Amino acid sequence: MTVGAIPVSTRAMPSTVQQWWTLTTRMIAPTLSNGELATQIIGSIVFTVGFYLPLKNILGAVQPMSSYAQYLTPLIVVQAIFFAAVSAAFRSAMDALAGINRRFRAMPMARLTPLAARMTASMYRCVVALVVALVCGHIIGFRFYGTVWHTIGFIVFALLIGAALALMGDLIGAATKNPEATAPLLLVPQVTLGLTSVGLQPVERFPGWIQPFVREQPLSHWLNALRALAGDSTPAAPAVTWSVIGPALAWVAAFIVIFTWLHAVVARRP
Amino acid sequence: MSLISETSLLTARILRRWSSDAATVAQSLLFPAFFLVALDVLLGDGVERVTGQSALYGSVPLVSLIGATSGAIIVAVGVMRERDDGLLARFWVVPSHRASGLLSRLIAEGVRIVVITSFVMCVGLLLGFRFTQGLPQAVAWLLMPAVFGMAFSAVVMTIALYAQNTLVPQATEVIAAVMFFFSTGFVPLDQFPKWLQPFAEHQPCSYVVEAMRGLSMGGPVAKPVIGTLLWSAGIAAIIAVPLAIGYRRASRRD
Repeated sequence: MTVGAIPVSTRAMPSTVQQWWTLTTRMIAPTLSNGELATQIIGSIVFTVGFYLPLKNILGAVQPMSSYAQYLTPLIVVQAIFFAAVSAAFRSAMDALAGINRRFRAMPMARLTPLAARMTASMYRCVVALVVALVCGHIIGFRFYGTVWHTIGFIVFALLIGAALALMGDLIGAATKNPEATAPLLLVPQVTLGLTSVGLQPVERFPGWIQPFVREQPLSHWLNALRALAGDSTPAAPAVTWSVIGPALAWVAAFIVIFTWLHAVVARRP
Repeated sequence: MSLISETSLLTARILRRWSSDAATVAQSLLFPAFFLVALDVLLGDGVERVTGQSALYGSVPLVSLIGATSGAIIVAVGVMRERDDGLLARFWVVPSHRASGLLSRLIAEGVRIVVITSFVMCVGLLLGFRFTQGLPQAVAWLLMPAVFGMAFSAVVMTIALYAQNTLVPQATEVIAAVMFFFSTGFVPLDQFPKWLQPFAEHQPCSYVVEAMRGLSMGGPVAKPVIGTLLWSAGIAAIIAVPLAIGYRRASRRD
């Protein structure tokens, strides 16, 4: 008895959309029960009050906006989204370590489907992070003063930053294959860039030698753009102009292009 | 073999593994270094204007403690991995003192924290931090983070020994973050809202920072040192039995 090719009629005909959705739910479902979601929410709250309460007096007096809450909330948003990217890195490293990516490659599935599913799950984490950060910001006194379009722009831009950082985290996780090391590894840029940005105090308050770095680093451009889109009750917020939004968008685009390219490099590794 | 020789053998094993993992060592030294510089750049001038004293006398101890606690989580996850690989079970069937496994881990933690504190101190010295009280005080200063850090490590390790999932010990990072944000090493006590000041003054991290401030710059020493010792001893007393039971369980896999 000879076995020929499997007839077309009995061959599995997997749908890419169905596969993407299955893999996405595989990433999202555990976050509800394993404490990841809870850790993310509590982490955002701790960072909000941890920056706001101790620094309100000492730095609130030296910033130009109507309240320190209005000044600080963009940083809280970016930090929360950074945490989401760290979770993405952790999951990606777990998958790389467990060898599931290699198994996926042996399956009848488009090359980019696992990455697309991980990115979708990352965007879910970013949405959670954004909501929690905005609720925290609202409680301490942050408000949107711009037009509806500016507010929508704020949300879309924050999620774009999230996509860029999640791509970075996912790449680091996949490249290192070490879940325990990824979180501390990402803490270095998160904390040092966060402290040496315009997130907590204006650039003029930093020592002269580091001011060029503070002014030009990506986080500062992102914070300026978010601050412009959120507006203020006084005219102290940056204006929504291309000179403010342009560099911020350019940094996000650069992150996304570079990390997508590096992903392709890592994915080709045996 | 005696307890002492077995413990020192196992301690040396842990320290050798730690020091041969270049990535972990670089990370556990470079992160505090970057953090101290960033903190000094951000708040150095502001704190000095408010208090008239250099912020480094609070931030160098704070960053040493951060190095101690963030390393504790990596170490605890390592213990979970050795449990899951069956290494702890192998040690258990070797005819050695039952206490040597746990003792060696705690001693290794103490050594690790002193190394990190020394490194942070060197970065601080470059930034302008100085000892003005004499050599015995400087030596005591160097040991303060290890006193509380070992108690903290014991807590994280206990949690890790009972947890199946490495996310659980990593969640202790949140507790550590609360201690650091609301400590007198971050900003002076009077900068906190009134209702928060009692917590900020009496939580363990602030006691360690104030003890180290007194030992380096001058000022009250006895009260914060006693506070540090009481907190550490209290934590050790609460955690000792669960830790020992957890280690035994992890070693016997039952």
